Amino acid sequence: MRMTNLRSVFAAIPNASFAFVLVLLLPSCGSIPMPAFFKNPADEAIVYALGSREGYTSPLSEPLKPACPALRFDDDEFRVAESHERPIRDLAKQIETNKKARLLIAGYAPPNLPQDHARSISDRRALAVRQRFIELGIEPANLQTVGYGNDFSPSSPSSSVVVIYRQN
Amino acid sequence: MNARALCFITLLAVCHGTRAEAGILERVRGWIGLGDKAEVAEPKKTMPRIRIGPFTGGTGASAQDALRKELLDSREFFVAGTEEKADFTVEGSSIGGRVTGKLRDSKGKDLFQRSYAAPGLDENLKAFTDDVIYTVTGRPGLATSRIVFVSDRTGRRQIYVCDAEGGDVHQVTHDKHGAVSPSLAPDSSMVAFTSYRSGFPVIRLLDLNVGWERGVTDTPGSSFGSAFSPDGTHLAAMMSFIGNPEIFVSDLGSNTAACISDSVGAPASPSWHPDGKQIVFSDDSGDGPKLYIVEVPQKEGQASRLFRWRTGYHFCTDPEWSPDGGNIAFTTRKGGEWAVAIKPWPNGGTRIIQAGGAQHPSWSPNGRLITYVQHGELYVHDLNSGNRRSLLRGFGRVSEPRWMR
Repeated sequence: MRMTNLRSVFAAIPNASFAFVLVLLLPSCGSIPMPAFFKNPADEAIVYALGSREGYTSPLSEPLKPACPALRFDDDEFRVAESHERPIRDLAKQIETNKKARLLIAGYAPPNLPQDHARSISDRRALAVRQRFIELGIEPANLQTVGYGNDFSPSSPSSSVVVIYRQN
Repeated sequence: MNARALCFITLLAVCHGTRAEAGILERVRGWIGLGDKAEVAEPKKTMPRIRIGPFTGGTGASAQDALRKELLDSREFFVAGTEEKADFTVEGSSIGGRVTGKLRDSKGKDLFQRSYAAPGLDENLKAFTDDVIYTVTGRPGLATSRIVFVSDRTGRRQIYVCDAEGGDVHQVTHDKHGAVSPSLAPDSSMVAFTSYRSGFPVIRLLDLNVGWERGVTDTPGSSFGSAFSPDGTHLAAMMSFIGNPEIFVSDLGSNTAACISDSVGAPASPSWHPDGKQIVFSDDSGDGPKLYIVEVPQKEGQASRLFRWRTGYHFCTDPEWSPDGGNIAFTTRKGGEWAVAIKPWPNGGTRIIQAGGAQHPSWSPNGRLITYVQHGELYVHDLNSGNRRSLLRGFGRVSEPRWMR
């Protein structure tokens, strides 16, 4: 009698079996791989390890002149935007013939962000800019990055920017 | 009929709950009371009564007075008078600042007797008080615990250490360009921090007892957010030398590191579960930082699970696991301002402890208090009573406190 009732329940709802399977599958969503067409192509890019930092000068040790205008980022954004393309391309064109030209790409964050998150997101932005230079043909070993977060605010830049310093 | 079928399906889903994704299902379980809710801290029904017996020796009277203050400050005992009935009795002797203390139960049985020979009387009595608290309650006392924090009072951010009452403040770093992101070893003997002495961020270790210092990372890119494992043998930290910021676990004995995260964003602030098998950290994939849990591989090449832990808030950073592993405190954003929140692990509702700009929470060793900063000032917050007090005033802009035994 009870089985009959149960069957009638599922018969009454054609989609009940489907919903039942769906609900059971929901918890395992985290382990189902994302289909390729949903993925961001940038996530699949080849990432090059950073080269040695020896010989690089920190902007904290002595005042360094930025090689191009600071690249501004929106609050939570860390991907390279359209507005960053021109200064990056111009600088890449300047240094592409000089195999010894080295750049220090430094990220900064505003003082109102939690410190650890500020360091991480500023570092991520600097690495995203480095990745764009690599895509434009610059030697990865000549591109060094650092994320200062808001550790040197207000004496250093105090907004969401990436500043590129030319190294000698 | 449809309603009964839906109820049946919902019930199955609730019973099928999993720890892996503490999301909608866990919230449903919480609403109907099936969630494994952990209490933040249960207030004690009755405090143990303790009597301070005689202390012989030249500094015995001073020791007795100072011990009374320490036991009262601990808020773990009712301190009984000499003629009153008590569950425990402390007594001993003190000569030249050294202390020999004894704890007895109500039947007169000795629970422990120990000698303390540190240079100062106060230091010895704090250690004795913590031993008494641990023996009676099973939880660590706070008298010998330390809080490490960053302050800019000298013009540069440097690292300082103070006791649980905000006293005994010491500046422990004097690095050129400053030092940030500190973490104390479980026994308070070492501080790991990010030093800017070379102009670039490098993680260093400083032994507070002996004074030696050594580098942990000398890698390009950034290194920060160090956190000691519960046994003090490993250090979790964010490093980006591979061209991508990731959370690494370094073996302090062999100086080798293993990557445990798989980030396309900005990971930060790792914190260990007290069993040393899991780490919580924040990761920003472009829509604000969220909290993630990763299992720490116990053997080389072992696969580990990594999953998001939902808190109900969009912006979550600076997570720290409570000493009993039952809760995680973190910084979130509420009403446009920073707030400190606590959520039971693995399931339960998120509770805002302090809004209005509070951030970077850290648990006391007994799990009853939380320290955090609000508008540059260091606070200690009692989770049972909700009372809080400022620990340090006029000490520059304080940030990144961490509380350890």
